[in-house]
Amino acid sequence: MPDDERRLDEAAERFGRYLDALLGDGRPSPAAVDDGDEAEMARTAAELAAGSRDAADSLPDPAFLDQLKARMRHADEAIGALGTPPPVRERPEPRGLGRWRLTRRQVLQAGLGAAAGLAAGAAGMGLTRPGGSPAPDPTGSGAPLVGGDGFWTEVATLADLPEGGALRFSTAAFDGFVVNDGGTVRALSAICTHMGCTLRFREEQGDLRCPCHGASFDLTGRLANGSRAWNDGGYLGDERAYPIDLPDLARPRVKVEDGRVWVWTAQV
Amino acid sequence: MAQPPGPFERVYDAHAVGIYRFIYARVGNHPDAEDLTARVFLRAVEQLDTGRPPAQIAAWLYRVAQNAIADHWRAFYRLPLVGADHVGPGWEPVAPGDRPPTDEPDRAADRVRRLLGRLPPTYRRVLELRFLERRSVAETARAMGISDGNARVLQYRALRRAALVGEANDA
Repeated sequence: MPDDERRLDEAAERFGRYLDALLGDGRPSPAAVDDGDEAEMARTAAELAAGSRDAADSLPDPAFLDQLKARMRHADEAIGALGTPPPVRERPEPRGLGRWRLTRRQVLQAGLGAAAGLAAGAAGMGLTRPGGSPAPDPTGSGAPLVGGDGFWTEVATLADLPEGGALRFSTAAFDGFVVNDGGTVRALSAICTHMGCTLRFREEQGDLRCPCHGASFDLTGRLANGSRAWNDGGYLGDERAYPIDLPDLARPRVKVEDGRVWVWTAQV
Repeated sequence: MAQPPGPFERVYDAHAVGIYRFIYARVGNHPDAEDLTARVFLRAVEQLDTGRPPAQIAAWLYRVAQNAIADHWRAFYRLPLVGADHVGPGWEPVAPGDRPPTDEPDRAADRVRRLLGRLPPTYRRVLELRFLERRSVAETARAMGISDGNARVLQYRALRRAALVGEANDA
């Protein structure tokens, strides 16, 4: 039957794109794969692709290993800088954000450059809110506000920050952007929460984009092209969305006074 | 002079390559394997108690890796993601007697041979050309004396069969 044949041709062509990406060692997109049976086929193909490789071709890229190792080292340093030895628990910690968990998460979110400074801020936070949750967020984003010991730094004038705009700033402890999201001014870390690369502002798309693996964060600091965007039909013309979920960008407190924008940066 | 490695770096040094290979064997491409490996170790920074005995740390890491792989495939099945925070990782090995899979690549190669051996000759041939020899669709078509379109349909049918055979193998 011609109709069935055409359907099979179309499916074979679409699924062929998954295979081409997989075998070309690109990142295959679920968009090329129908759910159900084809997902099962995609999985079989992935195992075949891995199993038919020489052992040497199954090894991680040394540059990748080094990059991730640097993140581990920074985590060690930042957590060491807290001055609190990791607690030895007999039982798993209770659900919810314990103090230790909170500080670790914040250390992680700070990314490479800012880890030590943020650790200092997080320690202060733990003291003022033992076992508590992050500061409530007045502007509605889910990203936790970074507070703790620190000081206000002027980073921009409002005149330079039109609606939909973003400006880079750097302080001793923090690399970030101040953004004007429809009249709301916000400060966001410029460090991707995936591997610690520095984000770039894309004016046309109105997002912060990672040059390393293509994560896009919206102006509230949330991953905008994660798996949810994927399930909802893609993201701003990207061929494929970012396949994993990432933590929100760290978000220092910000204030606007007399047309000047100030950001709260942690004490180093 | 380099600092002596801290607890997370030591965990990483001991397990990074093993976790990577474990993941790579199940997702079949390096970009996704890098993402998921990073996810496992970044989650360790958030949640792993490095004071645990080594065997428990290994079990924890492989369990988190399994969850990450499961989430990866859930996107292909259009299923809601479980999400890292919703899965209790636990300290026990993932299955009784399960050990960190050091012999992973050999076992994967065996599985490929077994699976291909159970397919009809044309299906086996197209998958050998595409996967083992890494030929393009056009090269595969030429080698088999068929059109590109037919080669695409053939690899599609072959994988559909292979998925069924694989399921029977798992059971």
